[in-house]
Amino acid sequence: MKRLMMRWEVLLLGILVLELAVFGAINPRFLNLGSLLYGTSDFVQVGIVAVPLTLVIIAGGIDVSFASTVGLCAITFGIANFFGMPLAVSLGVGFATGALAGLLNATIIRLTRLQPLVVTLGGLYMFSGAATVLSGVVGANGFDGIGGFPAAFTGLGYQMIFGLPMPLFVFLSFSLVMLVLLHVTRFGRLVFQIGQNESAARHAGMPVARVQMLTYVITGLAAALAGLLLSAYFGSARVDLGKATLLPAITAAVLGGASIYGGQGSVIGTIIATFIIGYLQQGLQMSGVPSQVSSALSGALLVVVVAMRHGAPLLREFIPVRPRPSE
Amino acid sequence: MTSVLAELGRVSKSYGNVPVLKGVDFEVRAGEVHALLGGNGAGKSTLMKILAGLIAPSAGRVSIGGAPLSPATPAQAQAMGLYLVPQEAHIFPNQSVLENICIGLPRRAEAYRTRIRDLIAELGVALSPDAKASTLEIADRQVVEILRGLVREAKVLILDEPTSALTPHEVETLFERMRALRETGHGLVFISHKLHELRAVSDRITVLRDGYVMHSAKMSESGDAEILAAMSPGVGALRERRADRARAERKTLEVTGLCGEGFVDISFDLHHGEVLGLTGVVGAGRTELAETLVGLRPRAGGKIALEGRPFLARTPREAVRQNVVILSEDRQQYGLFLDAPLFWNTSSLVHYLLPFVLRPSAERARFEGYRKTLGIKCETADQPVRSLSGGNQQKVLLSKCLAAKPRVLILDEPTRGVDVGARNDIYELIEQLADAGTAVLLISSDFDEVVRLSDRIAVMAGGHLVGALAGGSSTDEIAQLAFESKEAAHA
Amino acid sequence: MLERIARERVATLFLVTVIVLLLVGMAAPGFLSARTASIIWSNGLVLMLVALGIFPVILTRNIDVSGGSVLGLSAVTLGLTVNAGAPLPVGIAAALGAGAAAGALNGGLVALLGVPSIVATLGTLGLFRGVMLIATGGEWIEELPQGVKDLADKGFFGLSAIGIVALAVIVVVWLVLRTRRGRWIFAVGDNREAARHLGLPVRRIEFFAFVWAGLMYAIAGIAFAAQIGFVPNQAGSGLELRAIAALVLGGISLLGGVGSVAGVVIGVIFFTSIDTALVFLKIPAYWNDLIGGAMLLAVLLIDGRLRIALEARDRAARYRRGGTQPSKSRDLEEAA
Repeated sequence: MKRLMMRWEVLLLGILVLELAVFGAINPRFLNLGSLLYGTSDFVQVGIVAVPLTLVIIAGGIDVSFASTVGLCAITFGIANFFGMPLAVSLGVGFATGALAGLLNATIIRLTRLQPLVVTLGGLYMFSGAATVLSGVVGANGFDGIGGFPAAFTGLGYQMIFGLPMPLFVFLSFSLVMLVLLHVTRFGRLVFQIGQNESAARHAGMPVARVQMLTYVITGLAAALAGLLLSAYFGSARVDLGKATLLPAITAAVLGGASIYGGQGSVIGTIIATFIIGYLQQGLQMSGVPSQVSSALSGALLVVVVAMRHGAPLLREFIPVRPRPSE
Repeated sequence: MTSVLAELGRVSKSYGNVPVLKGVDFEVRAGEVHALLGGNGAGKSTLMKILAGLIAPSAGRVSIGGAPLSPATPAQAQAMGLYLVPQEAHIFPNQSVLENICIGLPRRAEAYRTRIRDLIAELGVALSPDAKASTLEIADRQVVEILRGLVREAKVLILDEPTSALTPHEVETLFERMRALRETGHGLVFISHKLHELRAVSDRITVLRDGYVMHSAKMSESGDAEILAAMSPGVGALRERRADRARAERKTLEVTGLCGEGFVDISFDLHHGEVLGLTGVVGAGRTELAETLVGLRPRAGGKIALEGRPFLARTPREAVRQNVVILSEDRQQYGLFLDAPLFWNTSSLVHYLLPFVLRPSAERARFEGYRKTLGIKCETADQPVRSLSGGNQQKVLLSKCLAAKPRVLILDEPTRGVDVGARNDIYELIEQLADAGTAVLLISSDFDEVVRLSDRIAVMAGGHLVGALAGGSSTDEIAQLAFESKEAAHA
Repeated sequence: MLERIARERVATLFLVTVIVLLLVGMAAPGFLSARTASIIWSNGLVLMLVALGIFPVILTRNIDVSGGSVLGLSAVTLGLTVNAGAPLPVGIAAALGAGAAAGALNGGLVALLGVPSIVATLGTLGLFRGVMLIATGGEWIEELPQGVKDLADKGFFGLSAIGIVALAVIVVVWLVLRTRRGRWIFAVGDNREAARHLGLPVRRIEFFAFVWAGLMYAIAGIAFAAQIGFVPNQAGSGLELRAIAALVLGGISLLGGVGSVAGVVIGVIFFTSIDTALVFLKIPAYWNDLIGGAMLLAVLLIDGRLRIALEARDRAARYRRGGTQPSKSRDLEEAA
């Protein structure tokens, strides 16, 4: 299995290189290191939620509510800031909101034993509704959002760390933590095994509920991280900050190798897939393709990739296997 | 009498590199019951699924009523007059019994109501056509499948182990029904493990082993010894029951008046270094009892003591931490992580003992140790369990249990779906474990297996402990206890 | 009592809807009127059609989240063809064709290639929206001809043309699901392996469920365009999620094989009633999502707990039966 997974990740890396080469050929400015680096600030939020989402999916769940949690956390942060709380406290409020959102999802899933898709669908509505109502509390309209952040905060969005833009640095270091957590620790092992066979995990005395709950909470925290990062980047907290991450994040996880049936997936795959999707959008825009076409193409990308992964064994059935020449 | 209703010619089938059938010929004639016998993994079910269009053969001919089965789909096979009653009934839980039986037929379910009611009456079973299928018990689900075949007026009816969930009385009714079908020119295939059942109704017998036909002749001309030899040369090769071990007086597990889901008032002692066989028919409450012991099911009452101290496991985790371990009867659903590497499986019961930052090399080494002692045939410790044969999968499952250093090891059907060679290995291992002091509770429906391995035997029926026998008792004694009590329960 | 509530889901939801409407009527006089009923019906039309489309897909234990995009695509197809001067029937046919084609793509991915339906339709959700935006160049389609808008005008008994179509669809679905082949749809979702075993054309059934869904989204798209008279480039966005929520409320199990047309209708009406009532209560529209989402979660929570409680009771009863019955007969045996 491992060898196969490695092959998939290598294939993804190949696709990424090919993609960069093609866009570079169309528009040489695209391959400028600076624009490649700064360009990431437009899409790393997708990766920040896609990586923990990969964990949720591997453990046999799914979460679609993160797209609203991003905005909700940004708004609670903005409100805390609006009422004059110190920056650290406001940030804490934002993260706590994210963790609570994840905890709420996981608790309801646990209590009702309903499919996670339905429950988090309800969350998707409720969290964005809550964000809208809350932003109404401080009299902000949906379009401008809540602003007035301290310069120390908004400055974060444009800082450089180790030669990397802040959002990219945050994404990479967060992913590294997740990578270690999933692939090197006991927790990660449990995530995989629970996703592979939940009843066997239960019979083996694994803490199924706790592990699944943690994956949702981590996703909530990551959504908060993305929301805060975007607020700093744009200088305002808006309800719909995360709306556009829903589809690309799920695409990134699935493209990265996560099986929607659970038990399979990889953080590295999701990271590479995030760059593939992000640069696809940017490359297309720089090549003069209207943005609507590029959104169609990312949808098509997901369809084609999963069709290939699921259809390949099927095709083999139709094409008779030729006997191999003797070695 | 001699017209052939269905025929398989030189049929082969492989899954990946594993051949399951190797050029099998088989036919069903009008007015006969053709018995199909073979050990686990002999290829009986696969052969019949090919005949029913559920699986495409790798090579060979399939014909029904003289015409080739084309396209090879279940719908086509049914249209050509063949129905397979599967071992485990396929039920639509949210639909009525009537709908369950009639779905796929050319008219609406209501049109068949009177016919179904007549058939139910003829079979002599209590089944309401309007009951929701999810409320049916296993035996009734089987009846639904048989009714499906009857109402389709299939000329060829394949019954895949139809008796495993039925009481002897129900079995006799089924046999009468089968004889009646034979008189009306139907052809039946009857798959069973139980030779005496096959003798009772069959005209011809075919024995499969390892994908080959080992014996095919008239039932009346086939002797028991001949059939058994064809079925498994391993019967002779199975090691004899070892001499009685001196039973240690140390009680490892004491169960007093235990009640739970599906059983009441169970009391027994399990001694240090002893194999206690717990047997009975399907549905006797043995698995429920075992699962209650390890905290998988709630306990309604009674006491359990482990080495003299009160033992209470509310979750399987608490049981494992006290070294009380169960090997589940359903290895694919509850035992193994089929897509995980072998060494992950070995570690999965002691996952809580693993360091937070994993050390795969240590885990691989542990697996390597079990690979040697258990004789697991594999390429690397990293390959998924799914790629192993049934016997080797079972050994991996055993390694998972052994890694938890069991004081009490509960084995629920430890040789289900395991070939003869691996079965011998497992028997040997069980004896070694007992010799080393492990208290083994062996749950098995295979009376021969129980007799061969157990120091003492307990029989359950209808949720009660109905008898205790000494090791070395005959299988007839066990059968009498197990079945008679069950009959009484249903009367 | 608990049993009633859980097992008669449709009736319970109907009662709850009535109570909510009565409460709103007390708070906002003038709410309880034929006019309100008519508003709820026409406000709920598009959602109703989308929900009726997803319904058979969910019955087969699949899911389709591409509905909003197919709706948009069909609406745009209609708008572009009629604005280019084609007669209305041609425009409608083109829209239906687009919907069916989109449904066929979904169905092909799921039924033929075996892609999990949630993944496949998430992909086509983006794909169809993109295709729609390419077709319009990202512009809104405005000034639809009067003929299109007339479809939403009240005619017979206060019903518009699309209202009549929606009613007809409800009746058709109800009838079809009662037929022999209609029951196959339930069977596939209830136990796919069993359906295959009994020779049902499982893949074809799944495929046609998706094509039917595409057709319904197309009709919903036509209804959408007719009602508002133009096609914004986000037309239908998010509707699929609302429709799924309404179906779950109406007792349609996402595990397949369970659900009724009455459940679909009452689920949609409940959702629409809430929205309409909020308007009457002069609660700002931005509360809608919060209230809708909280309500959905609350219903899921209550429904889920009830189901678990009932299952536990059934289970206990089964074991009690299994446990005591043999003991009695054993006593008899010993006595004899």
